[in-house]
Amino acid sequence: MPEIIAGMGEIFAAFLEGDSFVIRSALRQPAAWPVGLIAMMCGGLAFYFLYRFVPWLDKRIESTVMVTSYLMIGGIIFVEVIRRFTFGVQAPWSTTIPPFLFLIMTWVGCSYNVKLRTHLAFAEFRTIMPRKAQFAALSMDAILWLGFAWVVIVTSSRLVANSASNFHIMLGTDNVLQWWFLISLPIAFMMLAGRVIENWLEDLRNLKSGETLIKQAVIGAD
Amino acid sequence: MTDGTIITLISLGVTLLFMLGTPVFLVIGYWVIGMSFVLELSLDNIGAALSDVFTDGFALLAMPLFILTGDLINRSGIARRLSDFAYACLGWLRGGLGMAALGACGLFAAISGSNSATTATIGSMLHPEMVKGGYDERFSAATAAAGGTVGIIIPPSIIFIVYGFLLNLPISELFVAGIIPGTMMVLSMMVTCWIICTINGWGYLIPLSPLRVFKTGLGAWLGFFAIGLVLWGIYTGKFSPTEAAGVTVGFCVLVGFVCLAINKLTGHEEDEKLENRSMAEMLVVKGFGPLELPAITMRSSQITGILAPLIAVSVVMQQILSVMGAQQIIGDFVTSMGGYYAILFTAMGIVFICGMVLESLPVTIILAPILAPIAHSVGVEPVQFAVIFLVGASIGFITPPYGLNLYVASGVTGVPYFRLLRYTWPYLIALISVWIIVALVPSLSTVLLPKY
Repeated sequence: MPEIIAGMGEIFAAFLEGDSFVIRSALRQPAAWPVGLIAMMCGGLAFYFLYRFVPWLDKRIESTVMVTSYLMIGGIIFVEVIRRFTFGVQAPWSTTIPPFLFLIMTWVGCSYNVKLRTHLAFAEFRTIMPRKAQFAALSMDAILWLGFAWVVIVTSSRLVANSASNFHIMLGTDNVLQWWFLISLPIAFMMLAGRVIENWLEDLRNLKSGETLIKQAVIGAD
Repeated sequence: MTDGTIITLISLGVTLLFMLGTPVFLVIGYWVIGMSFVLELSLDNIGAALSDVFTDGFALLAMPLFILTGDLINRSGIARRLSDFAYACLGWLRGGLGMAALGACGLFAAISGSNSATTATIGSMLHPEMVKGGYDERFSAATAAAGGTVGIIIPPSIIFIVYGFLLNLPISELFVAGIIPGTMMVLSMMVTCWIICTINGWGYLIPLSPLRVFKTGLGAWLGFFAIGLVLWGIYTGKFSPTEAAGVTVGFCVLVGFVCLAINKLTGHEEDEKLENRSMAEMLVVKGFGPLELPAITMRSSQITGILAPLIAVSVVMQQILSVMGAQQIIGDFVTSMGGYYAILFTAMGIVFICGMVLESLPVTIILAPILAPIAHSVGVEPVQFAVIFLVGASIGFITPPYGLNLYVASGVTGVPYFRLLRYTWPYLIALISVWIIVALVPSLSTVLLPKY
């Protein structure tokens, strides 16, 4: 236990120092797990309060990121193919940046689907369960999402630190670093944690007020 | 407790979670976490894989772009024109509107690459007309669900991209290999539709008018152009599948903007009856404005936000299955069946059973890397096996309890899931018949492949 506490101190100190190599070394310790748990809960709660008190963010944050990334992917590929056909030139980063934009879109999209509860699931039995059992199942989902977000935040933060400390440059560019994009993974899972908290509190209110707990989710609806 | 017992308990635990309605993403994710502990693998593998799946290559990018293409051709009005053309060609037959829905599914699939987009688009567009036309609503919904299966066989196809990505096969060849089997699937379902409608006397007949066929064909020219663009680009090697998807997206966006501008200038309205439209008006579709583009893109990105995380987590699952030697176990079982046909049909049986309880994507990601090398070892061409595997996976879209198209069709038509099953089975029989023929006749998948 003292080792873990000391390790946590080292991780916080490394972040304060801001040196990616030191952060990478510090995150390799087992203490990264409790720090990750604290980061997930704090990040999740921060996003939850942002969603609650800034309605624009609640409604638009994920969709803005997703649509912007999506259109950039399509635009870059379309324009560069046309340039290749007409002028015989193509930007070297046109095949390396879109996959990273796809990464951002995917995980922010994952968070958005948590908000709308549209992730694929076999819900036939759940919909015919008694209300209390339905609430228990929804609570179990919330815990499972938070648990998974914890694992991803810790392990992907190590990946980000590793990339930053090795100065991984985006292929085809001179000065764009990969970690600028990779960091979207832990951030997206913090956003997801915020959505999980938001959904669970809504389920609790619905349970108390007698509202329907499980509604038919529709893809494409908001 | 032995490792084997713990692995069994974890697998049963996640199966229970699945039955209780936990999202499939979490079900697979927790299986991965559990197995990582048992096998003493580092959890860091999860974080790395969830990013590497997307950042290590360009091929998977075709998936979101083809999903977006589907939404763009729907909103621009191109999909409507394709279904009008299909109806003009087939409306003189009993069940013509149902057959037109299936034909429209085939045409839509040739631009988009998604089964659910095909079902949702054609189902929402033609279901009200089919019900008005005297068709049983259960049959109409089942037709949309079954028609959607070709969405992943007729190129371009999202699942072909995933399959090629996993097994390092040329995606353009996979696309070409799907053309004949996909067409056979559409034709077999049309015959089924005709038989059912003839028996029940459903649908009104419209006379076959060459002028109407020509006019609607002209109206669908942008759709045919998009189909030609994708196939030409991929077949000739001018574009990679991802670039073809990007070009099609750009083409659809330009068409949407330009057509809306033309319609505004000319005062033309898309709702006018076909007879009242001039040939020149038929050349222009409804279109959409720049302000509508974010809403269209949003729908596509939501679907991508469901599918892409599933692919990522399934890739980690596949890696763990490899470490566990599961491929060896299933491989030994399949190999023990005997020769060419025994192995082929055992593999097909496994795909079919898994397709009943899993979405086609996890089925592909989990089983393809196991079964493909075994099939290859007894002489099945990798590209042919890909088609056999994916036709089976596509049939899984309409097999209960987990038939994704059934859920989508139920959602867009409002016909309850269990009621729609009544008319699904005739289509199932037709598709399984095609599947067996495709397995028995390799040239159906390989004859169009470019000869080097």
